[in-house]
Amino acid sequence: MKNDDLEQILRQALASKAEPDETLNNSLIEKIKERSQMKQAYRRKLSVGLLAAVLLLVLSVSAYAATQLFSPKQVAEHFGDQLLAEAFDSKDAIEINQSKNSGDYRFTLHGIVSGAGLSAFEHSSEEIYSDRTYAVVSIMRQDGEPMPSTADDEYGKVPFFISPLIKGQEPWRVNIVTMNGAYNEAVIDGVMYRLIECDQVEVFADRGVYLAISSGSTFFSKEAFKYDAATGEIHVNENYAGAALLFDLPLATAKADEEKAESYLKKLLNPTPEEPSDEEMEMQSWIDSLRAKIRNGEEIGETIADSIKEVTYDDSGNIVYTYENRSATILLENLFEEGQVGFTDRRLSVSGEGKVYQAVLFHKDENGVITGRIVILDEENNPK
Amino acid sequence: MNTDELIELVKLHGKSIYGFCYQLTGNKEDTDDLYQETFLKAVELRRKLDVSRNPKAFLISIAIRLHQNHRRKLAWRQRIAPTAGLDEAANKPGSFASEATPEEAVLSLELRTMLENAASQLDDKIKLPLYMYYTADMTVEEIALALGIPAGTVKSRLFKARKTMRQVLEVDSP
Repeated sequence: MKNDDLEQILRQALASKAEPDETLNNSLIEKIKERSQMKQAYRRKLSVGLLAAVLLLVLSVSAYAATQLFSPKQVAEHFGDQLLAEAFDSKDAIEINQSKNSGDYRFTLHGIVSGAGLSAFEHSSEEIYSDRTYAVVSIMRQDGEPMPSTADDEYGKVPFFISPLIKGQEPWRVNIVTMNGAYNEAVIDGVMYRLIECDQVEVFADRGVYLAISSGSTFFSKEAFKYDAATGEIHVNENYAGAALLFDLPLATAKADEEKAESYLKKLLNPTPEEPSDEEMEMQSWIDSLRAKIRNGEEIGETIADSIKEVTYDDSGNIVYTYENRSATILLENLFEEGQVGFTDRRLSVSGEGKVYQAVLFHKDENGVITGRIVILDEENNPK
Repeated sequence: MNTDELIELVKLHGKSIYGFCYQLTGNKEDTDDLYQETFLKAVELRRKLDVSRNPKAFLISIAIRLHQNHRRKLAWRQRIAPTAGLDEAANKPGSFASEATPEEAVLSLELRTMLENAASQLDDKIKLPLYMYYTADMTVEEIALALGIPAGTVKSRLFKARKTMRQVLEVDSP
Protein backbone atom coordinates (compact mmCIF):
# COMPACT_ATOMS: atom_id res chain seq x y z
CA MET A 1 0.00 0.00 0.00
CA LYS A 2 1.29 3.44 -0.92
CA ASN A 3 1.89 6.05 1.78
CA ASP A 4 -0.61 8.35 0.11
CA ASP A 5 -3.30 5.68 0.23
CA LEU A 6 -2.63 5.07 3.90
CA GLU A 7 -2.81 8.80 4.58
CA GLN A 8 -6.14 8.98 2.84
CA ILE A 9 -7.57 5.96 4.63
CA LEU A 10 -6.44 7.21 8.02
CA ARG A 11 -7.87 10.64 7.37
CA GLN A 12 -11.19 9.10 6.46
CA ALA A 13 -11.27 6.57 9.24
CA LEU A 14 -10.16 8.87 12.01
CA ALA A 15 -11.96 12.01 10.94
CA SER A 16 -14.72 12.35 13.44
CA LYS A 17 -18.20 12.75 12.06
CA ALA A 18 -19.26 14.02 15.46
CA GLU A 19 -20.02 17.69 15.59
CA PRO A 20 -21.17 19.93 18.41
CA ASP A 21 -24.82 20.68 17.86
CA GLU A 22 -26.12 24.22 17.74
CA THR A 23 -27.77 24.09 21.17
CA LEU A 24 -24.59 22.82 22.79
CA ASN A 25 -22.59 25.64 21.25
CA ASN A 26 -25.17 28.22 22.21
CA SER A 27 -25.28 27.06 25.80
CA LEU A 28 -21.48 26.96 25.84
CA ILE A 29 -21.27 30.53 24.56
CA GLU A 30 -23.70 31.62 27.29
CA LYS A 31 -21.57 29.90 29.91
CA ILE A 32 -18.43 31.52 28.54
CA LYS A 33 -20.07 34.92 28.86
CA GLU A 34 -21.17 34.17 32.44
CA ARG A 35 -17.82 32.84 33.55
CA SER A 36 -15.93 35.69 31.96
CA GLN A 37 -17.62 37.99 34.43
CA MET A 38 -16.45 35.98 37.40
CA LYS A 39 -12.75 36.71 36.84
CA GLN A 40 -11.59 37.07 40.42
CA ALA A 41 -13.17 33.95 41.85
CA TYR A 42 -11.75 31.73 39.15
CA ARG A 43 -8.30 33.17 39.10
CA ARG A 44 -7.89 32.22 42.72
CA LYS A 45 -8.95 28.68 42.00
CA LEU A 46 -6.15 28.15 39.52
CA SER A 47 -3.98 25.36 40.80
CA VAL A 48 -0.22 25.71 40.97
CA GLY A 49 0.22 22.70 38.73
CA LEU A 50 -1.90 24.20 36.03
CA LEU A 51 -0.10 27.51 36.30
CA ALA A 52 3.19 25.75 35.78
CA ALA A 53 1.77 23.92 32.78
CA VAL A 54 0.52 27.18 31.31
CA LEU A 55 3.87 28.79 31.91
CA LEU A 56 5.60 25.91 30.14
CA LEU A 57 3.19 26.18 27.26
CA VAL A 58 3.69 29.92 26.94
CA LEU A 59 7.46 29.43 26.95
CA SER A 60 7.30 26.84 24.23
CA VAL A 61 4.96 29.06 22.25
CA SER A 62 7.60 31.78 22.04
CA ALA A 63 10.25 29.31 20.95
CA TYR A 64 7.88 27.87 18.40
CA ALA A 65 6.95 31.24 16.97
CA ALA A 66 10.37 31.56 15.36
CA THR A 67 9.88 28.49 13.16
CA GLN A 68 6.22 29.13 12.48
CA LEU A 69 4.86 30.17 9.10
CA PHE A 70 4.82 33.83 8.26
CA SER A 71 1.79 35.83 9.31
CA PRO A 72 -0.32 37.71 6.73
CA LYS A 73 1.28 40.90 8.04
CA GLN A 74 4.77 39.58 7.39
CA VAL A 75 3.78 38.34 3.95
CA ALA A 76 2.37 41.75 3.02
CA GLU A 77 5.59 43.31 4.31
CA HIS A 78 7.57 40.90 2.16
CA PHE A 79 5.72 42.22 -0.87
CA GLY A 80 6.61 45.75 0.21
CA ASP A 81 3.04 46.68 1.08
CA GLN A 82 3.35 48.26 4.51
CA LEU A 83 -0.17 49.66 4.31
CA LEU A 84 -1.65 46.20 3.78
CA ALA A 85 0.61 44.76 6.50
CA GLU A 86 -0.96 47.21 8.93
CA ALA A 87 -4.42 46.26 7.71
CA PHE A 88 -3.69 42.58 8.44
CA ASP A 89 -2.56 43.64 11.90
CA SER A 90 -5.70 45.67 12.54
CA LYS A 91 -8.88 44.68 14.38
CA ASP A 92 -10.75 44.34 11.07
CA ALA A 93 -8.53 41.50 9.95
CA ILE A 94 -9.68 37.94 10.55
CA GLU A 95 -6.93 35.58 11.60
CA ILE A 96 -7.81 32.09 10.44
CA ASN A 97 -4.73 29.83 10.42
CA GLN A 98 -6.53 26.72 9.27
CA SER A 99 -4.66 24.00 7.44
CA LYS A 100 -5.88 21.24 5.19
CA ASN A 101 -4.05 18.59 3.24
CA SER A 102 -4.93 17.73 -0.32
CA GLY A 103 -2.96 16.04 -3.06
CA ASP A 104 0.75 16.40 -2.30
CA TYR A 105 0.30 19.64 -0.45
CA ARG A 106 -0.66 21.20 2.81
CA PHE A 107 -2.54 24.45 2.43
CA THR A 108 -2.92 27.01 5.18
CA LEU A 109 -5.36 29.86 5.05
CA HIS A 110 -3.69 32.46 7.25
CA GLY A 111 -5.99 35.42 7.31
CA ILE A 112 -8.22 37.79 5.48
CA VAL A 113 -8.96 41.49 5.57
CA SER A 114 -11.44 43.64 3.64
CA GLY A 115 -11.87 47.34 3.13
CA ALA A 116 -11.14 50.32 0.96
CA GLY A 117 -7.69 51.80 0.41
CA LEU A 118 -5.96 49.01 2.33
CA SER A 119 -3.15 48.39 -0.11
CA ALA A 120 -0.37 50.69 -1.23
CA PHE A 121 -0.72 49.16 -4.69
CA GLU A 122 -3.98 50.19 -6.20
CA HIS A 123 -5.77 47.83 -8.57
CA SER A 124 -7.28 49.41 -11.68
CA SER A 125 -10.77 48.22 -10.72
CA GLU A 126 -10.67 50.19 -7.46
CA GLU A 127 -12.02 53.18 -9.34
CA ILE A 128 -15.28 51.25 -9.70
CA TYR A 129 -15.28 49.15 -6.52
CA SER A 130 -13.11 50.72 -3.87
CA ASP A 131 -13.66 47.90 -1.34
CA ARG A 132 -11.42 44.89 -1.77
CA THR A 133 -10.70 41.65 0.06
CA TYR A 134 -7.16 40.38 0.65
CA ALA A 135 -6.19 36.93 1.88
CA VAL A 136 -2.94 35.06 2.48
CA VAL A 137 -2.58 31.36 1.76
CA SER A 138 0.55 29.26 2.10
CA ILE A 139 1.35 26.05 0.30
CA MET A 140 3.92 23.50 1.34
CA ARG A 141 4.65 19.99 0.26
CA GLN A 142 3.49 17.19 2.55
CA ASP A 143 6.67 15.19 1.96
CA GLY A 144 8.71 18.02 3.46
CA GLU A 145 10.45 18.87 0.18
CA PRO A 146 10.64 22.62 -0.42
CA MET A 147 8.37 24.27 -2.97
CA PRO A 148 10.42 25.34 -6.00
CA SER A 149 11.68 28.89 -5.65
CA THR A 150 10.52 31.49 -8.14
CA ALA A 151 13.95 31.34 -9.83
CA ASP A 152 13.67 27.57 -10.28
CA ASP A 153 12.65 26.05 -13.64
CA GLU A 154 10.13 23.93 -11.77
CA TYR A 155 8.39 26.99 -10.40
CA GLY A 156 4.86 27.38 -11.70
CA LYS A 157 4.80 23.91 -13.30
CA VAL A 158 2.02 23.04 -10.90
CA PRO A 159 -0.26 26.05 -11.08
CA PHE A 160 -2.79 26.75 -8.34
CA PHE A 161 -6.23 28.29 -8.41
CA ILE A 162 -6.99 30.13 -5.17
CA SER A 163 -10.21 32.06 -5.09
CA PRO A 164 -13.16 33.03 -2.98
CA LEU A 165 -16.38 31.39 -4.23
CA ILE A 166 -19.84 32.44 -3.20
CA LYS A 167 -22.50 30.01 -2.14
CA GLY A 168 -25.40 30.12 -4.58
CA GLN A 169 -23.34 31.55 -7.42
CA GLU A 170 -22.02 29.43 -10.27
CA PRO A 171 -18.32 29.26 -9.43
CA TRP A 172 -17.19 29.41 -13.06
CA ARG A 173 -18.95 32.76 -13.36
CA VAL A 174 -18.13 34.26 -9.99
CA ASN A 175 -14.54 33.72 -8.94
CA ILE A 176 -11.31 35.64 -8.47
CA VAL A 177 -10.92 36.15 -12.22
CA THR A 178 -14.34 37.72 -12.75
CA MET A 179 -14.17 39.60 -9.44
CA ASN A 180 -11.25 41.76 -10.64
CA GLY A 181 -8.76 39.58 -8.84
CA ALA A 182 -5.01 39.52 -8.72
CA TYR A 183 -2.30 37.78 -6.73
CA ASN A 184 1.30 38.02 -5.63
CA GLU A 185 3.38 34.98 -4.95
CA ALA A 186 6.66 34.36 -3.15
CA VAL A 187 8.53 31.29 -1.94
CA ILE A 188 10.18 31.80 1.42
CA ASP A 189 12.08 28.97 3.15
CA GLY A 190 10.48 26.40 0.85
CA VAL A 191 6.94 27.58 1.57
CA MET A 192 4.92 29.28 -1.11
CA TYR A 193 2.86 32.25 0.01
CA ARG A 194 0.14 33.71 -2.13
CA LEU A 195 -1.49 37.03 -1.41
CA ILE A 196 -4.76 37.18 -3.30
CA GLU A 197 -7.05 40.14 -3.75
CA CYS A 198 -10.38 40.74 -5.42
CA ASP A 199 -13.53 42.81 -5.04
CA GLN A 200 -14.81 42.77 -1.47
CA VAL A 201 -16.61 39.53 -0.57
CA GLU A 202 -17.78 40.42 2.96
CA VAL A 203 -21.06 41.69 1.50
CA PHE A 204 -21.83 37.99 0.85
CA ALA A 205 -21.08 36.96 4.45
CA ASP A 206 -24.67 35.88 5.12
CA ARG A 207 -24.79 33.69 2.01
CA GLY A 208 -21.58 31.85 2.82
CA VAL A 209 -18.22 32.35 1.15
CA TYR A 210 -15.70 29.61 0.46
CA LEU A 211 -12.04 29.88 -0.26
CA ALA A 212 -11.36 27.30 -2.96
CA ILE A 213 -7.94 25.93 -3.81
CA SER A 214 -7.11 23.52 -6.61
CA SER A 215 -3.96 22.51 -8.42
CA GLY A 216 -3.51 21.99 -12.14
CA SER A 217 -4.73 25.34 -13.40
CA THR A 218 -4.72 29.00 -12.45
CA PHE A 219 -8.39 29.12 -13.45
CA PHE A 220 -11.53 27.58 -12.03
CA SER A 221 -11.75 23.89 -12.88
CA LYS A 222 -15.06 22.10 -13.28
CA GLU A 223 -13.15 18.86 -12.70
CA ALA A 224 -11.95 19.95 -9.26
CA PHE A 225 -15.25 21.28 -7.92
CA LYS A 226 -18.91 20.45 -8.27
CA TYR A 227 -21.66 23.01 -8.05
CA ASP A 228 -25.02 21.91 -6.72
CA ALA A 229 -27.47 24.23 -8.42
CA ALA A 230 -30.31 23.11 -6.14
CA THR A 231 -28.62 24.06 -2.86
CA GLY A 232 -26.06 26.50 -4.19
CA GLU A 233 -23.37 24.55 -2.39
CA ILE A 234 -19.97 23.94 -3.88
CA HIS A 235 -18.23 20.64 -3.21
CA VAL A 236 -14.82 19.23 -3.89
CA ASN A 237 -14.82 16.50 -6.49
CA GLU A 238 -13.30 13.63 -4.50
CA ASN A 239 -12.11 11.95 -7.70
CA TYR A 240 -10.08 14.93 -8.84
CA ALA A 241 -6.54 13.84 -9.56
CA GLY A 242 -4.84 16.94 -8.14
CA ALA A 243 -5.32 18.89 -4.97
CA ALA A 244 -8.76 20.40 -4.36
CA LEU A 245 -10.23 21.73 -1.15
CA LEU A 246 -12.55 24.34 0.29
CA PHE A 247 -12.29 26.46 3.40
CA ASP A 248 -15.32 28.25 4.80
CA LEU A 249 -14.41 31.88 5.23
CA PRO A 250 -15.47 32.95 8.73
CA LEU A 251 -16.71 36.39 7.67
CA ALA A 252 -18.73 38.47 10.09
CA THR A 253 -22.36 38.20 9.02
CA ALA A 254 -22.88 41.70 10.37
CA LYS A 255 -20.85 42.91 7.38
CA ALA A 256 -23.26 41.30 4.91
CA ASP A 257 -25.06 43.75 2.67
CA GLU A 258 -27.78 42.19 0.59
CA GLU A 259 -28.37 45.30 -1.48
CA LYS A 260 -24.73 45.85 -2.37
CA ALA A 261 -24.28 42.13 -3.02
CA GLU A 262 -27.21 42.03 -5.43
CA SER A 263 -26.19 45.12 -7.35
CA TYR A 264 -22.61 43.84 -7.55
CA LEU A 265 -23.72 40.47 -8.91
CA LYS A 266 -26.06 42.11 -11.36
CA LYS A 267 -23.21 44.10 -12.87
CA LEU A 268 -20.85 41.15 -12.78
CA LEU A 269 -23.22 38.69 -14.41
CA ASN A 270 -24.73 41.08 -16.98
CA PRO A 271 -21.90 43.32 -18.08
CA THR A 272 -23.01 46.14 -20.37
CA PRO A 273 -21.47 45.39 -23.75
CA GLU A 274 -18.83 47.82 -24.89
CA GLU A 275 -19.85 50.17 -27.65
CA PRO A 276 -18.41 48.84 -30.90
CA SER A 277 -15.79 51.07 -32.49
CA ASP A 278 -16.39 52.80 -35.81
CA GLU A 279 -14.08 50.30 -37.47
CA GLU A 280 -16.08 47.38 -36.11
CA MET A 281 -19.31 49.02 -37.21
CA GLU A 282 -17.96 49.41 -40.73
CA MET A 283 -16.80 45.79 -40.86
CA GLN A 284 -20.19 44.63 -39.62
CA SER A 285 -22.11 46.64 -42.20
CA TRP A 286 -19.80 45.33 -44.94
CA ILE A 287 -20.43 41.70 -43.88
CA ASP A 288 -24.17 42.44 -43.61
CA SER A 289 -24.22 43.83 -47.16
CA LEU A 290 -22.42 40.73 -48.45
CA ARG A 291 -24.92 38.50 -46.68
CA ALA A 292 -27.84 40.42 -48.15
CA LYS A 293 -26.42 39.92 -51.64
CA ILE A 294 -25.93 36.20 -51.08
CA ARG A 295 -29.47 35.93 -49.75
CA ASN A 296 -30.82 37.69 -52.83
CA GLY A 297 -28.87 35.35 -55.10
CA GLU A 298 -26.57 38.09 -56.36
CA GLU A 299 -23.03 37.25 -57.47
CA ILE A 300 -20.46 38.70 -55.09
CA GLY A 301 -17.38 37.70 -57.04
CA GLU A 302 -15.66 35.12 -59.21
CA THR A 303 -15.73 31.50 -58.12
CA ILE A 304 -12.48 29.52 -58.27
CA ALA A 305 -13.67 26.56 -60.38
CA ASP A 306 -11.28 24.04 -58.76
CA SER A 307 -12.53 24.94 -55.35
CA ILE A 308 -16.09 23.65 -55.88
CA LYS A 309 -16.11 20.46 -53.88
CA GLU A 310 -18.61 18.38 -52.04
CA VAL A 311 -18.06 18.60 -48.32
CA THR A 312 -17.14 15.62 -46.15
CA TYR A 313 -18.34 14.85 -42.62
CA ASP A 314 -16.25 14.16 -39.56
CA ASP A 315 -17.06 11.67 -36.78
CA SER A 316 -19.15 14.21 -34.92
CA GLY A 317 -21.24 14.92 -38.03
CA ASN A 318 -19.64 18.31 -38.67
CA ILE A 319 -19.22 19.53 -42.22
CA VAL A 320 -15.61 19.65 -43.33
CA TYR A 321 -14.49 21.65 -46.33
CA THR A 322 -10.86 21.85 -47.40
CA TYR A 323 -9.30 23.66 -50.34
CA GLU A 324 -5.56 24.15 -50.57
CA ASN A 325 -4.56 25.69 -47.24
CA ARG A 326 -8.06 26.70 -46.20
CA SER A 327 -10.19 24.47 -44.10
CA ALA A 328 -13.53 24.90 -42.39
CA THR A 329 -15.36 22.64 -39.94
CA ILE A 330 -18.92 23.72 -39.21
CA LEU A 331 -21.91 22.18 -37.49
CA LEU A 332 -24.55 21.39 -40.14
CA GLU A 333 -27.36 23.03 -38.17
CA ASN A 334 -25.37 26.23 -38.05
CA LEU A 335 -25.06 26.35 -41.81
CA PHE A 336 -28.49 25.48 -43.21
CA GLU A 337 -31.94 25.67 -41.78
CA GLU A 338 -34.06 22.62 -42.34
CA GLY A 339 -35.28 22.51 -45.92
CA GLN A 340 -33.07 25.40 -46.97
CA VAL A 341 -31.51 25.08 -50.44
CA GLY A 342 -29.17 27.30 -52.45
CA PHE A 343 -26.34 29.43 -51.03
CA THR A 344 -26.40 30.08 -47.35
CA ASP A 345 -25.59 33.37 -45.68
CA ARG A 346 -25.79 31.98 -42.16
CA ARG A 347 -22.04 31.53 -41.91
CA LEU A 348 -19.80 33.73 -43.94
CA SER A 349 -16.06 33.56 -43.62
CA VAL A 350 -14.13 36.22 -45.50
CA SER A 351 -10.41 36.74 -45.44
CA GLY A 352 -7.92 38.83 -47.32
CA GLU A 353 -6.14 42.14 -47.41
CA GLY A 354 -5.45 44.96 -49.81
CA LYS A 355 -7.48 44.34 -52.94
CA VAL A 356 -7.97 40.57 -52.78
CA TYR A 357 -10.69 39.17 -50.52
CA GLN A 358 -11.91 35.60 -50.55
CA ALA A 359 -15.13 34.23 -49.14
CA VAL A 360 -16.03 30.60 -48.45
CA LEU A 361 -19.59 29.89 -49.61
CA PHE A 362 -21.69 26.81 -49.03
CA HIS A 363 -24.44 25.62 -51.32
CA LYS A 364 -27.04 22.93 -50.82
CA ASP A 365 -28.96 21.44 -53.77
CA GLU A 366 -32.41 19.82 -53.81
CA ASN A 367 -30.86 16.41 -53.14
CA GLY A 368 -29.21 17.70 -49.98
CA VAL A 369 -25.71 17.63 -51.43
CA ILE A 370 -23.61 20.37 -49.87
CA THR A 371 -20.73 21.88 -51.77
CA GLY A 372 -18.22 24.46 -50.69
CA ARG A 373 -16.44 26.98 -52.89
CA ILE A 374 -14.05 29.91 -52.70
CA VAL A 375 -15.16 33.14 -54.26
CA ILE A 376 -12.77 36.01 -54.98
CA LEU A 377 -14.79 39.11 -54.23
CA ASP A 378 -15.36 41.69 -56.90
CA GLU A 379 -13.48 44.88 -56.06
CA GLU A 380 -16.74 46.76 -55.48
CA ASN A 381 -17.56 44.26 -52.76
CA ASN A 382 -14.27 44.79 -50.89
CA PRO A 383 -14.42 46.66 -47.60
CA LYS A 384 -14.27 50.43 -48.00
CA MET B 1 -7.91 37.29 24.88
CA ASN B 2 -11.36 38.77 25.45
CA THR B 3 -14.72 37.03 25.65
CA ASP B 4 -15.65 37.77 22.04
CA GLU B 5 -12.42 36.26 20.80
CA LEU B 6 -13.08 33.17 22.90
CA ILE B 7 -16.57 32.85 21.45
CA GLU B 8 -15.01 33.20 18.01
CA LEU B 9 -12.77 30.23 18.91
CA VAL B 10 -15.87 28.12 19.57
CA LYS B 11 -17.07 28.87 16.06
CA LEU B 12 -13.67 28.50 14.47
CA HIS B 13 -12.27 25.42 16.18
CA GLY B 14 -15.39 23.97 17.85
CA LYS B 15 -15.79 21.26 15.26
CA SER B 16 -12.24 19.92 15.41
CA ILE B 17 -12.08 20.19 19.21
CA TYR B 18 -15.38 18.31 19.48
CA GLY B 19 -14.23 15.65 16.99
CA PHE B 20 -11.04 15.22 18.98
CA CYS B 21 -12.93 14.98 22.28
CA TYR B 22 -15.17 12.36 20.72
CA GLN B 23 -12.19 10.22 19.79
CA LEU B 24 -10.94 10.47 23.37
CA THR B 25 -14.20 9.66 25.11
CA GLY B 26 -16.03 7.55 22.54
CA ASN B 27 -19.54 8.69 23.41
CA LYS B 28 -21.67 11.77 22.93
CA GLU B 29 -22.46 12.46 26.57
CA ASP B 30 -18.85 12.53 27.72
CA THR B 31 -17.85 14.40 24.57
CA ASP B 32 -20.36 17.16 25.29
CA ASP B 33 -18.97 17.46 28.84
CA LEU B 34 -15.32 17.42 27.85
CA TYR B 35 -15.94 19.89 25.03
CA GLN B 36 -17.67 22.36 27.30
CA GLU B 37 -15.16 21.93 30.12
CA THR B 38 -12.33 22.58 27.68
CA PHE B 39 -13.69 25.93 26.63
CA LEU B 40 -14.68 26.90 30.14
CA LYS B 41 -11.18 26.08 31.31
CA ALA B 42 -9.97 28.33 28.50
CA VAL B 43 -12.11 31.11 29.97
CA GLU B 44 -10.10 30.85 33.19
CA LEU B 45 -6.86 30.81 31.27
CA ARG B 46 -7.82 33.40 28.72
CA ARG B 47 -5.21 35.88 29.86
CA LYS B 48 -2.55 33.38 28.85
CA LEU B 49 -4.29 32.74 25.56
CA ASP B 50 -3.20 34.81 22.59
CA VAL B 51 -5.18 34.78 19.32
CA SER B 52 -2.07 35.30 17.27
CA ARG B 53 -0.32 32.32 18.83
CA ASN B 54 -1.97 28.98 18.55
CA PRO B 55 -5.30 28.86 20.37
CA LYS B 56 -6.26 25.54 18.77
CA ALA B 57 -3.17 23.76 20.11
CA PHE B 58 -3.82 25.37 23.47
CA LEU B 59 -7.44 24.17 23.53
CA ILE B 60 -6.44 20.64 22.51
CA SER B 61 -3.84 20.53 25.27
CA ILE B 62 -6.54 21.57 27.76
CA ALA B 63 -8.86 18.83 26.48
CA ILE B 64 -6.13 16.19 26.88
CA ARG B 65 -5.31 17.32 30.40
CA LEU B 66 -8.97 17.34 31.45
CA HIS B 67 -9.54 13.92 29.93
CA GLN B 68 -6.52 12.45 31.70
CA ASN B 69 -7.62 13.97 35.00
CA HIS B 70 -11.09 12.59 34.51
CA ARG B 71 -9.76 9.10 33.77
CA ARG B 72 -7.56 9.20 36.83
CA LYS B 73 -10.56 10.11 38.97
CA LEU B 74 -12.66 7.45 37.31
CA ALA B 75 -10.03 4.79 37.94
CA TRP B 76 -9.82 5.83 41.55
CA ARG B 77 -13.60 5.71 41.92
CA GLN B 78 -13.74 2.31 40.27
CA ARG B 79 -11.28 0.96 42.80
CA ILE B 80 -13.53 1.94 45.68
CA ALA B 81 -16.83 1.28 43.92
CA PRO B 82 -16.24 -1.23 41.11
CA THR B 83 -19.93 -1.44 40.21
CA ALA B 84 -19.78 1.98 38.60
CA GLY B 85 -17.63 0.51 35.89
CA LEU B 86 -16.97 2.11 32.56
CA ASP B 87 -18.90 0.20 29.95
CA GLU B 88 -16.23 -0.28 27.34
CA ALA B 89 -18.50 -1.82 24.77
CA ALA B 90 -20.98 1.02 24.87
CA ASN B 91 -18.15 3.48 24.55
CA LYS B 92 -16.62 2.14 21.39
CA PRO B 93 -16.23 4.90 18.85
CA GLY B 94 -18.00 4.52 15.57
CA SER B 95 -21.60 4.95 16.60
CA PHE B 96 -21.61 8.13 14.53
CA ALA B 97 -20.33 6.43 11.42
CA SER B 98 -23.85 5.72 10.27
CA GLU B 99 -24.42 9.45 9.95
CA ALA B 100 -22.02 9.60 7.02
CA THR B 101 -23.72 10.34 3.74
CA PRO B 102 -23.37 7.59 1.11
CA GLU B 103 -20.80 9.71 -0.75
CA GLU B 104 -18.66 9.96 2.33
CA ALA B 105 -18.90 6.32 3.16
CA VAL B 106 -16.05 5.45 0.85
CA LEU B 107 -14.42 3.39 3.50
CA SER B 108 -16.50 0.44 4.43
CA LEU B 109 -18.01 0.65 7.86
CA GLU B 110 -16.17 -2.52 8.79
CA LEU B 111 -12.78 -1.17 7.81
CA ARG B 112 -13.48 2.10 9.53
CA THR B 113 -14.53 0.45 12.77
CA MET B 114 -11.51 -1.82 12.59
CA LEU B 115 -9.15 1.13 12.24
CA GLU B 116 -10.96 3.07 14.93
CA ASN B 117 -10.70 0.15 17.32
CA ALA B 118 -7.04 -0.36 16.54
CA ALA B 119 -6.39 3.34 17.11
CA SER B 120 -8.31 3.43 20.38
CA GLN B 121 -6.22 0.54 21.72
CA LEU B 122 -2.94 2.32 21.07
CA ASP B 123 -0.91 3.65 23.94
CA ASP B 124 -1.75 7.29 24.77
CA LYS B 125 1.74 8.37 23.75
CA ILE B 126 1.06 7.26 20.20
CA LYS B 127 -2.69 7.64 20.14
CA LEU B 128 -2.83 11.33 21.04
CA PRO B 129 -0.57 12.55 18.20
CA LEU B 130 -2.51 10.28 15.81
CA TYR B 131 -5.88 11.81 16.73
CA MET B 132 -4.42 15.28 16.82
CA TYR B 133 -3.02 14.89 13.33
CA TYR B 134 -5.86 13.06 11.62
CA THR B 135 -8.92 14.03 13.63
CA ALA B 136 -8.12 17.54 14.79
CA ASP B 137 -6.16 18.30 11.61
CA MET B 138 -3.20 19.74 13.47
CA THR B 139 0.29 20.17 12.10
CA VAL B 140 3.30 18.41 13.58
CA GLU B 141 4.39 21.75 15.04
CA GLU B 142 1.00 22.34 16.63
CA ILE B 143 1.04 18.87 18.18
CA ALA B 144 4.56 19.45 19.50
CA LEU B 145 3.35 22.69 21.02
CA ALA B 146 0.27 21.19 22.61
CA LEU B 147 2.06 18.16 24.05
CA GLY B 148 5.18 20.06 24.99
CA ILE B 149 7.47 17.65 23.18
CA PRO B 150 9.91 18.25 20.29
CA ALA B 151 8.54 18.09 16.73
CA GLY B 152 10.94 15.22 15.96
CA THR B 153 9.37 13.15 18.72
CA VAL B 154 5.90 13.87 17.33
CA LYS B 155 7.07 12.71 13.90
CA SER B 156 8.50 9.47 15.24
CA ARG B 157 5.32 8.77 17.25
CA LEU B 158 3.20 9.43 14.18
CA PHE B 159 5.46 7.11 12.23
CA LYS B 160 4.92 4.35 14.82
CA ALA B 161 1.17 4.96 14.77
CA ARG B 162 1.01 4.75 10.96
CA LYS B 163 3.10 1.59 11.04
CA THR B 164 0.67 -0.05 13.44
CA MET B 165 -2.34 1.04 11.41
CA ARG B 166 -0.71 -0.21 8.23
CA GLN B 167 -0.20 -3.62 9.85
CA VAL B 168 -3.86 -3.71 10.82
CA LEU B 169 -4.82 -2.98 7.23
CA GLU B 170 -2.42 -5.45 5.69
CA VAL B 171 -3.34 -8.30 8.01
CA ASP B 172 -7.08 -7.84 7.59
CA SER B 173 -7.24 -6.92 3.93
CA PRO B 174 -4.45 -8.67 2.06
